[in-house]
Amino acid sequence: LKEWYDKINDATTVETLEEIRISIFGKKGVLAAEFAKMKGLSGPEKGKLAKELNTHKSALMNEFTAKKITLQTEALREAMKAEAIDVSMFSTSPQSGALHPVMETMDRIVEYFSSMNFAVKTGQIVEDDFNNFEALNLPKYHPARDMQDTFYFKDEMMLRTHTSPVQIRTMMSTKPPIRMIAPGAVFRRDYDLTHTPMFHQVEGLLVDKEGTVSFANLKFILEDFLRYMFGEVEVRFRPSFFPFTEPSAEVDISCVFCKGEGCRVCSHTGWLEVLGCGIVDPNVFEAVNYKDVSGYAFGLGVERFAMLIHQIGDLRSLFEGDIKLLEQFQ
Amino acid sequence: MIVTRSWLNEWIDLNGITTEEIAKVFNSIGLEVDRLHEYRVPKKIIFGKVLECEKHPDADKLNVCQVDIGSSIRQIVCGASNVRAGLTVAVAVVGAQMPGGLAIKPVKLRGVDSDGMICSAGELGLADTGKGILEIDSSIGEIKLGDEVATNNFFNDDLIEIELTANRGDCLSIRGVARDLSAAFDRPIKEYIVTDNDDKRGIGRVLNLSHEKDLDVNLNYKALDLKGLVIPTIVKLRLAQIEESRESDIENMLLYITQSTGVILRAYDHSFFCSDDEKMAKVILCENEDGFACIKGKNSASIVGIVQDDASKVQESECTILLEASYIPPEIISRKMSETKIESGPMFYKTSRGSEPELDAGLSYCIDMIEAHSASKTYSGKIELTNSSVEKIVIVTKQEIDEIIGAKIDKFVVANILKNLGFDTSKSSTDNFVITVPQFRHDIVNKQDIVEEIVRMVGIDNIPSKPFILTEDNRLEDNYFEYKKRSIFRHRGANNGFYESVHFVFDEKKTLNSYGFATTKEELELLNPIVQTLDTLRPTLLTGLLKAASQNVKNGYSSVRLFEIGSVFTPEREESYNMAFIFSGDKENENLANAGKPAKVDFAYFVQKISDVIGAVTLREFKTSHTLSHDYQSAEVLMNDTVVGELFRVHPNVEKEYDLDVTFMCELDFSKIPYALKIAQKTSKYQASFKDLSLVMPKEMSYEKVKNVIQNTDITNLVRFYPVDKYSDEALAENMSLSVRFVLQSTEKTLEEEDITSAMDSILEALKSELGIGLR
Repeated sequence: LKEWYDKINDATTVETLEEIRISIFGKKGVLAAEFAKMKGLSGPEKGKLAKELNTHKSALMNEFTAKKITLQTEALREAMKAEAIDVSMFSTSPQSGALHPVMETMDRIVEYFSSMNFAVKTGQIVEDDFNNFEALNLPKYHPARDMQDTFYFKDEMMLRTHTSPVQIRTMMSTKPPIRMIAPGAVFRRDYDLTHTPMFHQVEGLLVDKEGTVSFANLKFILEDFLRYMFGEVEVRFRPSFFPFTEPSAEVDISCVFCKGEGCRVCSHTGWLEVLGCGIVDPNVFEAVNYKDVSGYAFGLGVERFAMLIHQIGDLRSLFEGDIKLLEQFQ
Repeated sequence: MIVTRSWLNEWIDLNGITTEEIAKVFNSIGLEVDRLHEYRVPKKIIFGKVLECEKHPDADKLNVCQVDIGSSIRQIVCGASNVRAGLTVAVAVVGAQMPGGLAIKPVKLRGVDSDGMICSAGELGLADTGKGILEIDSSIGEIKLGDEVATNNFFNDDLIEIELTANRGDCLSIRGVARDLSAAFDRPIKEYIVTDNDDKRGIGRVLNLSHEKDLDVNLNYKALDLKGLVIPTIVKLRLAQIEESRESDIENMLLYITQSTGVILRAYDHSFFCSDDEKMAKVILCENEDGFACIKGKNSASIVGIVQDDASKVQESECTILLEASYIPPEIISRKMSETKIESGPMFYKTSRGSEPELDAGLSYCIDMIEAHSASKTYSGKIELTNSSVEKIVIVTKQEIDEIIGAKIDKFVVANILKNLGFDTSKSSTDNFVITVPQFRHDIVNKQDIVEEIVRMVGIDNIPSKPFILTEDNRLEDNYFEYKKRSIFRHRGANNGFYESVHFVFDEKKTLNSYGFATTKEELELLNPIVQTLDTLRPTLLTGLLKAASQNVKNGYSSVRLFEIGSVFTPEREESYNMAFIFSGDKENENLANAGKPAKVDFAYFVQKISDVIGAVTLREFKTSHTLSHDYQSAEVLMNDTVVGELFRVHPNVEKEYDLDVTFMCELDFSKIPYALKIAQKTSKYQASFKDLSLVMPKEMSYEKVKNVIQNTDITNLVRFYPVDKYSDEALAENMSLSVRFVLQSTEKTLEEEDITSAMDSILEALKSELGIGLR
């Protein structure tokens, strides 16, 4: 029987091993033949042989099982090896599309203010003089109208120059308190490297009882908002002028490119202007017939935010459906 | 508005304050700093005096000068046309390194030794004062020959350009800016002392002022005999710094004074107002046919605050002139101007934003300057016409100030700020500020304007941030849900392979009309489009996507997939949202899986993509109203039995026009895309059975018909059915074979073979009787 141990060991394939198994353990196998020899024996001799044969039988079985596992493992490994691929050839990028960076930035802004319990109001693009100018303390002869070169229609309607008319419409149709933002497209007659005739704004308005809304409140929410959008930045308020707010301020953040050291983007000032804001001018409340209220308002350009956050250099490429740009946002 | 440190210093003592600090304060008080520039004259440039000046023997345009530089006399060859003996000049001596890079060395110019250079302002790195060398006079203070030019603060000056907001006309002068700084630094402003001369000739001898109508205008006149006016160095230098100049010396002088004081000044030729042989000028304030306040003699001389007629300007350098200071409230002038647009002169910007009403000081400053730099003689006295203005008073309480700011501001701080800004608070009581607003602050009308002044000067950065305490409210309303819906479908578009794009809502009318799109009605059309190609509101998103796809193909993209959700407009200019898609060229990017040869997009693939984005769709044969679509591959898109839009292959001619490979597009009315919360149907526990029928039907028969017949059979357990294969060959001739797969399932049991057979039989029967078609 000794030789069969070697035969098991020498087997190189699962198939030959199986043949060996049959030769050993089969009905006509060597073990059966050996056991048959017991017929002519008796007594202690028979017992001794039986014991000897059974020891062999289980030893051979163990040997066989171990070998079988080894060979199967090997065979599987070989089979897998045949399926080998060069994974480095399969590096890929998604076939999916992407959201537009301006719209995605708008989403983030809306998300922030929604979570701060601001309502979202959208309004209409074609506006009238009252909602776009007059009610916002911009009477016809006001020099600040020059700041906003307007698209007019033949019937004296216009394309809104800011999303502020949405605030007027909301106040005209709702009683205070008001807590809202107005995201949307706005239009000015300006077309060069840094201006497009259409761009997007988000404006915010809070109106509550007289004496309750202060400049300090405005500072709080805008500082928090800007850090939400830009990360840890310095925020600076500079007094400014808008016809619809008083006091008014422009808000700067420390330059996100040079961290305030001074670079080309921030014109070496270390600061980037990102927002306008202020306490709502009483004339605005008068125009919408609100009495005994106070409020704050703010407004920002979404393209500017998107360009600063994503470091996009060319404003106009944002309006060209340019896959070169868009595929970077997959 | 451009200011310089030395010029500001004439109105407020800036000693001990650095220019950086001034710039920082400007920003914090709302005068935004646009530009900061330091003029620094290099070393070894010193004051000198030209003692002699002779023509160069061998060069027409050169002069040989002997120049006293204090320690010695140098010979310098100079090419400037204005060099002459007696001039005080800036001399670059040997060893000087000029800002332009030139190093001064002893040279021979056409055989004559030259030991240095006489400099122009430009060569010194200063604002360019024009042709020739810089002529220096006593207006820049006392100088000693040989002293470094850099030690003089008028030359080594700092320039700050500030951007003024539209309300701050009062800061359009150096004095006005100084007034704001005075409040910020709590240092007094230097007032100009008004004096009168004692010339025996009174102005009454040469000027008679009258008015035809009471107009809201203040006027103040002085008369003088102008003679030998020389523009001083300081004026030349500063006008160069602010980059402005006028036609004549007298006009330049007035420009300078206006810039400094804010008072609007004009000079008239006295004789313009005189009748023949008379010495008396008859000046009349009147209203012209357009309603503007005018100054006239026999003819119109000027429109107050707007423009001066050339004929009334001073043409001679020696003659009698009238100097006029005027003030007209800015709101009157801008309202008038917005009603009737007329041509305006260079001062209009200032008058429309608010000029300085203190006319006496400006006029007096002007006379003093002219007298100091000419041999002119001024008539004594002045003639004025003043429209008594109503005092503007604003009352605000300490509590109101604190509430608007959101912090407690000390009462004395408030009072001091207001005083320094020129407000009169003397009528105030303990808790009420009663504030008289100076005329130059026409922008201040209410409490909040006053608070803004306090906020500016206190500094917003010094106000602590405080969260607003609000009452909880559900603010998720329709507009929010609409925004959310757009957001969800935008994400689905992007996740299914489309890039989101945003285009202008403008488009070209001509192009749109040529494709059959109806554009905005003529009477509602855009009045002032920015360019011809963006001259109307878009009625569709399709053209924008086509252009973008075309550009992307030019950029080398063989698979272009874009979508947009945006506003479109009807001819009545009603706005609504559409969602549109374009899919052009390859189905996917080239990669190993498609062996670098991705298949082209086809109808089935495109519809599947659209459905992946918006949900289950049904298509119906349809002719689009525009001509962008393929004649035989266009469909109406239905969702829940409602038409939501159209879907088509782009017409081959349009594909060609835009250089596009096979291209499909889809445009949907966004509001019609279903967005309701889903209701789950009861699902069956029993197995579904599938059965295919291959129908032979005429090629031109629409599947729509087959579908309708099958639907009308109303078979209880028919869950759904759909075509899975289409086949035609010669044997079938005009017919084709269409395999339709039926899915049957009961909620009560597993269907038996006979249930299925009977269902199929009723379908076949219906098809046979109604359409005359049957199995292959």
